[in-house]
Amino acid sequence: MKEATKINSYLTFKLRDEIFGASVAKVLNILEMIKITKVPKAPVYMKGVINLRGSVLPLIDTRIKFDMGETVYTDNTCILVLDIEIAGETVHVGALVDSVQEVIEIDDADIQPSPSIGSKYKSEFIDGMVKIDNDFIMLLNMDLIFSTSEITLLRESSGDTQVEVETRV
Amino acid sequence: MIDNFKKKFIEEATEHIQDLEQALLELEQNPTNKPLIERVFRAMHSLKGGGAMFGFEKISEFTHNLETAYDLVRNGEMEVTNELLNLTLASVDHLGALLNDDSSNSESVMAQNADLMKKINELVTAGTVKKKTVHNTIEIDEEINTKSQTYYIQFQPNEDIMRNGTNPIFLIDELQSLGNCVAIPIVNKIPTLDDFDPNKCYINWEVFLATESNINSITDVFIFVEDDCLLQVNLISDTNLLTNQLFLDKLEEINVNQHEIGIAQLQDFITSLTALETKQSNKGKDERISLSSKDQTISSIRVASDKLDQLMNLVSELVTTQARLTLYAENDGQTELLAIAENVQKLSRQLRDNAFGIVLIPIENMLTRFQRLVRDLSKELKKEVVFEAEGTDTELDKTIIESLTDPLMHILRNSLDHGIELPQIRKNKGKPAEGRILLKAFYSGANVILQISDDGSGIDVNIIRAKAIQKGLISPDAALTKKEILDLIFIPGFSTATNITDVSGRGVGMDVVKRKIADIRGEVDVESELNMGTTLIIKLPLTLSIIDGLLVKVEETFYVIPLSVIDKIYAVEHSKLTNTFNNVVVLDGEQVSFFYLRHEFEIAPFDTAYEQVIVVNYEDKRVGLAVDTVIGEYQAVLKPLGKHYKKQEIISGATILGDGTIALVMDTNKAIKQFANKTLTTEDHK
Repeated sequence: MKEATKINSYLTFKLRDEIFGASVAKVLNILEMIKITKVPKAPVYMKGVINLRGSVLPLIDTRIKFDMGETVYTDNTCILVLDIEIAGETVHVGALVDSVQEVIEIDDADIQPSPSIGSKYKSEFIDGMVKIDNDFIMLLNMDLIFSTSEITLLRESSGDTQVEVETRV
Repeated sequence: MIDNFKKKFIEEATEHIQDLEQALLELEQNPTNKPLIERVFRAMHSLKGGGAMFGFEKISEFTHNLETAYDLVRNGEMEVTNELLNLTLASVDHLGALLNDDSSNSESVMAQNADLMKKINELVTAGTVKKKTVHNTIEIDEEINTKSQTYYIQFQPNEDIMRNGTNPIFLIDELQSLGNCVAIPIVNKIPTLDDFDPNKCYINWEVFLATESNINSITDVFIFVEDDCLLQVNLISDTNLLTNQLFLDKLEEINVNQHEIGIAQLQDFITSLTALETKQSNKGKDERISLSSKDQTISSIRVASDKLDQLMNLVSELVTTQARLTLYAENDGQTELLAIAENVQKLSRQLRDNAFGIVLIPIENMLTRFQRLVRDLSKELKKEVVFEAEGTDTELDKTIIESLTDPLMHILRNSLDHGIELPQIRKNKGKPAEGRILLKAFYSGANVILQISDDGSGIDVNIIRAKAIQKGLISPDAALTKKEILDLIFIPGFSTATNITDVSGRGVGMDVVKRKIADIRGEVDVESELNMGTTLIIKLPLTLSIIDGLLVKVEETFYVIPLSVIDKIYAVEHSKLTNTFNNVVVLDGEQVSFFYLRHEFEIAPFDTAYEQVIVVNYEDKRVGLAVDTVIGEYQAVLKPLGKHYKKQEIISGATILGDGTIALVMDTNKAIKQFANKTLTTEDHK
């Protein structure tokens, strides 16, 4: 039995040409690009901090996490303000994405488990896949993605040596 | 509602218990000190009264017994003995336990209750026997009537006294129980019915009391309303004036006229009266003891700490907004606006300092616990130790004090257990049998330094070294300085105690102390001389949320460097900074090593003729940090960078500038340490 209150709305966004979905319950806000203050000596995916109505919001380059190179800023580049749970604590974090698409309703029954082979990314970061029209959308586990200090979410078997031992921030 | 009162009582009672404990420990040093005995008695009395009022009957009953004992002490009929103090201190602990579960009758608590009560009663009985004999001899000498003294009590309750649940009539009744009493209500302040508020008390009393009791028993009646009334108690005669018809006539006159007679007039009257009636020489009524609550203006109030936190937040916001105003005014250039902005800046700075002053509390507040710990533990370990504290009025943020107590307790336990030797060993070493632990607190710039030193056995660096090698923390051939070896005690999993005792060595060690102190942005250091003693030095920030800093810029990013560490700022030619192989620059004829921040942060060098070098204090050295430009002084409201940046130690937080830009607050100590380490490792690789 699924919980009756489970929200099936997803916000879809693009990184390069791939489409991803995040549960809208996790997204507090969508911001246009504003001035970023860089923090020296930080890991490469930690873009810096921004001023979010008087508080300091750390910013993560989502593309680096997905091994797509640093984000190239365009007019469509957005910041998703996310509500992330790290070790039982709620933390706000900003995620840089190439563009925001739309909010879609997805029936639980349409969600297919993430394929255990063939996917570039570690399966624990992907909640499932869904096919809309001709696009496959990866539904992401935002809590996990934005709380791990792994630089990328690639499978270790994919030959990328950048992956560190998983330690929670 | 009731729960609210109870909560309040528990809060107050906890304070009374603390005060009691403190006073008892002081009394131990000074057993005949009258004011101290009074303080002990007062605390007990308040506990008893409050307990009875709010349904904590066991506390009330228990304290009553204690109070009886100290009443004897107060009247000089019993001495403050060690036995009594031990018993009272045990009782204080028991009271704490009772306070936590007064209603539940857990067996151990009840057994303790009965046991302590019995012991107290034994002491009291021993005391009272003495009292009885003293009493009898007096009674043989004098008649009861002549022993009575007449007091004139002016009792003017505040209008609001009934709001606290006090009924003034009961107080008068209580006075009447003390002896022969005439109470005259003065009702001329009662307003007309239209203005009459039934919740208010409009009546004053003139009370004439002939009693054998002393003045203390009279003021005790008013002990709970001290702050809610004007009270004057004067001794007007050594005889019972209420048997004198002329005096009673005078009282009737007062009653009819409804005028407070006043002490001066009354004195005159009595003088004439005594002269007339008895023609005896008057002894003079100079021994007037007056207790005037009027002079005791309220010196402190109780405020919930979340209200304070809220105040602090608002002040922080105000400081941020003020920075914005100043910036705007400067850009705008209107002289009038500038003047206003300057004024606002001045005011908000004062407001900030004031608000921060409110949450600062003297470290004195945590000392009682330490004194108690040293007292109990030294007895248990059969060691003789005195605990002394200096600079107890040094103030710290309350949150810092809260998080400091545990580490300090741990340090003290270590000193007692491993530091101070047994008396015999101390004598053999040629030291006084009594060990000494000194807690010294003082200000040092924007920091507070706490030093805990003992004159015990000190730390044997050879043992530490051996232990570290055994645990694989260092290699056997590692060449370490003494300081480096001593610092090993802060490494997790390091405990030198050869046998783990109940006291220290419970698995938590100095590493926990270090971490807890680091959590409040403090640093801890150790110094030790074998057989001379050990000193732990804790350096703490005064407050956690606002710092005075210098705003600087490196490329596009603003940084705030705490003013407290800054020594001097120099303008240095660009070439001198970039064309150097060992990162040393000569400033004021002195060689100063420096770090070029652009280089450290992996940014291309700045193409300019002059750059700014900020010289900061790092440990005991001066180190330069080269930045692009210095903007000016800035009050930074610290905001956390969040969990994601926890590992970036060189940045301790961020602050938002007037125009909304974020500036990063640099922790220069950590930054320099990190830069220096990096330089070392790269050299090693060569």
